[in-house]
Amino acid sequence: MTGPLRELNYLVARLLNRRRAAQELDEEMRAHIEMEVEENIAAGMNAEEARFAALRKFGSVALSQERSRHVWGFRWLETFWQDLRFGLRMLLKSPAFTIVAILTLALGIGANTAIFSIVYSVLLRPLNFSDPDRLVYVWDSNPSIGYPRFSSSAPNYLDWRAQSQSFEQLSAVASWSYNLTGEGTPERVGAVRASASLFPMLGVNAQLGRTFLEEEDRPGGDRVVLLSHGFWQRRYGQDRGIIGRTLELNGESYTVVGVLPASFQLLPDRLPYAEIWTPAALTENMFVRGNHLLKVVGRLRPGVTLSAAQSELSSVAKRLEAQYPDSNRGWNVVLEPLQEVVVADSRPMLMVLLAAVGFVLLIGCSNIASLMMTRAVSRAREIAIRSALGATRLRLIRQFLTESVLLALIGGALGVVLSYWGIELLIKLQAGSLPRTDEIAIDSRMLLFSLVISIITGILFGLVPALQSSKVALLESLKEAGRKGTSGPGRGRLRNAMVITEMALALVLLIGAGLMIRSFLQLQKVSLGFNPDNLIAMRLTLPTEKESKYYQKSARALFYSELLKRLEALPGVESAGMVSTLPLAGDSVSEFFVEGQPLPDPNQGYNANYRNCNGRYFNTMHIPVMKGRIFSDQDITNSQLVVIVNETFARQFWPNEDAIGKRISFNGNEGPWRTIVGVVGDVKHMSLDQEAGLELYTPYTQTNGHDINIVLRTAGDPAGITAGARRALMELDSTLPIYRIRTMQEIVANSLASRRFNMALLSFFAASALLLAAVGIYGLIYYTVKERTHEIGIRIALGAQQLDILKLVMKQGTKLALYGIAIGLAASMALTRLMASLLYQVSATDLTTFTVISLILALVAMAASYIPARRATKVDPIVALRYE
Amino acid sequence: MKKEEREQVDILQGTLDMLILRTLVFGPKHGHSIAHSIEHDSGAVLKVDHGSLYPALQRLERRGWVTADWGTSENNRRAKYYRLTPLGRKQLVAETTKWERIVEAITRIMQPASEES
Repeated sequence: MTGPLRELNYLVARLLNRRRAAQELDEEMRAHIEMEVEENIAAGMNAEEARFAALRKFGSVALSQERSRHVWGFRWLETFWQDLRFGLRMLLKSPAFTIVAILTLALGIGANTAIFSIVYSVLLRPLNFSDPDRLVYVWDSNPSIGYPRFSSSAPNYLDWRAQSQSFEQLSAVASWSYNLTGEGTPERVGAVRASASLFPMLGVNAQLGRTFLEEEDRPGGDRVVLLSHGFWQRRYGQDRGIIGRTLELNGESYTVVGVLPASFQLLPDRLPYAEIWTPAALTENMFVRGNHLLKVVGRLRPGVTLSAAQSELSSVAKRLEAQYPDSNRGWNVVLEPLQEVVVADSRPMLMVLLAAVGFVLLIGCSNIASLMMTRAVSRAREIAIRSALGATRLRLIRQFLTESVLLALIGGALGVVLSYWGIELLIKLQAGSLPRTDEIAIDSRMLLFSLVISIITGILFGLVPALQSSKVALLESLKEAGRKGTSGPGRGRLRNAMVITEMALALVLLIGAGLMIRSFLQLQKVSLGFNPDNLIAMRLTLPTEKESKYYQKSARALFYSELLKRLEALPGVESAGMVSTLPLAGDSVSEFFVEGQPLPDPNQGYNANYRNCNGRYFNTMHIPVMKGRIFSDQDITNSQLVVIVNETFARQFWPNEDAIGKRISFNGNEGPWRTIVGVVGDVKHMSLDQEAGLELYTPYTQTNGHDINIVLRTAGDPAGITAGARRALMELDSTLPIYRIRTMQEIVANSLASRRFNMALLSFFAASALLLAAVGIYGLIYYTVKERTHEIGIRIALGAQQLDILKLVMKQGTKLALYGIAIGLAASMALTRLMASLLYQVSATDLTTFTVISLILALVAMAASYIPARRATKVDPIVALRYE
Repeated sequence: MKKEEREQVDILQGTLDMLILRTLVFGPKHGHSIAHSIEHDSGAVLKVDHGSLYPALQRLERRGWVTADWGTSENNRRAKYYRLTPLGRKQLVAETTKWERIVEAITRIMQPASEES
């Protein structure tokens, strides 16, 4: 056998037969000594002398044994095992400390594991497609009109596909919806229209059946449909015979060709209602170049970088701009990695939360370290003896570190268990504010993270006490009166420093939470522009195919007015209105031109948020009418074209005049012109934290809407109206489903859901940090009082009053708190600017928040010092003086 | 009786290994007789703590220069016998050569006077 292998063999054999090897060695040495004794006797010594001489010649048996075992190479293993057993015994001997430490560690490490799992699954883990880092999202971009990232138009998409080389594949998707009729209850189903190339590009296969074929991706051949797993489960109970059946969508027959896998998710917050998928079936004629309704995803060709693809597409965009100036002027193309698009919004907040749990863990470690140092004091005797028996400082430190890492591992294991529940809870609470929540799970990577964090934590809080405790003042510790030898000035300073650090960390977290709470409160105060109470909204879509009875605009108008009349007649309903897009539901943008105020480029118009509605809508929503009138029965299909604008609009274009009577057009400077008949108050259309922009309203009777939201203002609880509303619709047309029924309060709350979740979570961590820091100060003061009992007793005996003692003790706590707050304020100044993007109308260095939080922390610190301080005042001087 | 001066020489670990190997050249020995061989053959100059032999023997065994078997000693006592392996033999030659070179070098330094004259 070769050298190293033979040696390994030797070591392994010894390792496995440790006991036998030790016994044999023992026997061997004993035999050796016996032989020497015999020789000595033979040489003339008596039995006693012989043995004495033999032993002396041999030297230290124990040393010889130990050095032999050292050769056997597993001494480190034996000492480690020894340390472990000893550490466990020590932990069991002080159960109070152990339990407190384990709980603190469990919460700290558990929280870190949970948050890190979320951060990893949401931000870092590659998307669930093949080769996901080659996938990019293609935006149409026009920064000059305020849309640096926007959806794409179909003709643009087709041109990019034809004119670029950088992509292996480009696919388009668009949000859509269908009325599902035929068997079962009629239902409005959210859908996505997708290119046939999409699924192969993503590497996604149907779990049942197949995905689209190329020939199905064109008008005529496109009457096929794919079901999402959720839809298949909900409506068809996972019936495996669904393939080949037909569904009636918008009156036409579609054949089910496949079911998508349960794990499949594409752009969840941009395609929120992806219950069924139909082929995109695009042609250039079908869509206007200026109508941007597609989302485009592509796969880069192997070897092509993102920037190369970006430059190529930019030049294609320039060509299109020159070719189609009316629609494409100012429009460029922006490429972004698909994962970025999905996760970028969540990143700032998740990073803040990760930092927050990190801080909480640090504060917890600091507390445990303090506890360990206190505990070490009572072990000073033991340490001194071990040191005298030959333990090196390194050995002692190793012992202590083993104990602390053991503690951390136990706490960490418990923490992992807690984090399972924690994650479940968090997912439930986040209510849609995080993407990719299906992918959040604790897998082996998270467990590894937990393990590493536990070990690092153990070393972190164990190192300082280990270093301190192993520094043995031998003589002093062995003395009976060991009380003073416990905390020399060095240790006191260290403990002070730790408490100050805890205060500073807690302050930073509290200020962060405070800023977020302030932002949230500001948001809640924001005027919506309408009254959200007792308001319920529901959606309705009329099929507009040629065969449908609603094909004619007049037929639709009739239907709407009849429906609204019936709805308003319902008991409990005060008024009913309708609108194309609800507030807080997103952009619906249109270009417009102002008569007499053209832009420098006559072909370029302004952009505004645009809604179709009826007159009653304004009454129902309680949107105030500032000037003029709202739509009425005189605004019908063939009368003068009218429009209503909001205050901001009127102020921008006619600051010193009346806007009533002025005219705008949607189709360039040739018209047709629409006359402004009214000015209403601003409404928050996009989201609460965005300023109201320019808003336009046109009457339903004069535009082509078939997708409407009905809003009902009720006298009492809006949810009670639902049944009645459904019935009213059924009476008019039993094939039309009403869907997305929600109260306005729900919609408003939903738009704030993400902020609320973040604020709540950060506040929770900040509160934990505060609690831990308070415990830290309490512990320090308590301990100080115990130490100075003797001194306090003397003071009282000499005439000090309760108040004097109180002041004496609390001075220490207050001083530490103030230092901590000072450092914390400095740190906050530097750090809070990192979360500026999460705040609303609150500066990252908001004076009020900083001041209030500092005061709160100071008060808590003083309260935490007060309790042990009171104990100090109760000291009986006689007892204290006797206390040695 | 005249007191003989005995020099207690501190024996380096590696040198001890070499000495042990040497004593095993003529056949397997157990620990006790190895100790005696070293003391005896050195003319009682080298005194070694018998105990320190055993770590050395473990080392030699680990390196594969000796093997060990249990046997019976002269006094019918159970003892572990150590035997030189071919590898050990080679090692002994190498060590000896090295040792002689060291000795020569030290000698040269210690007797410069005779060189100069």
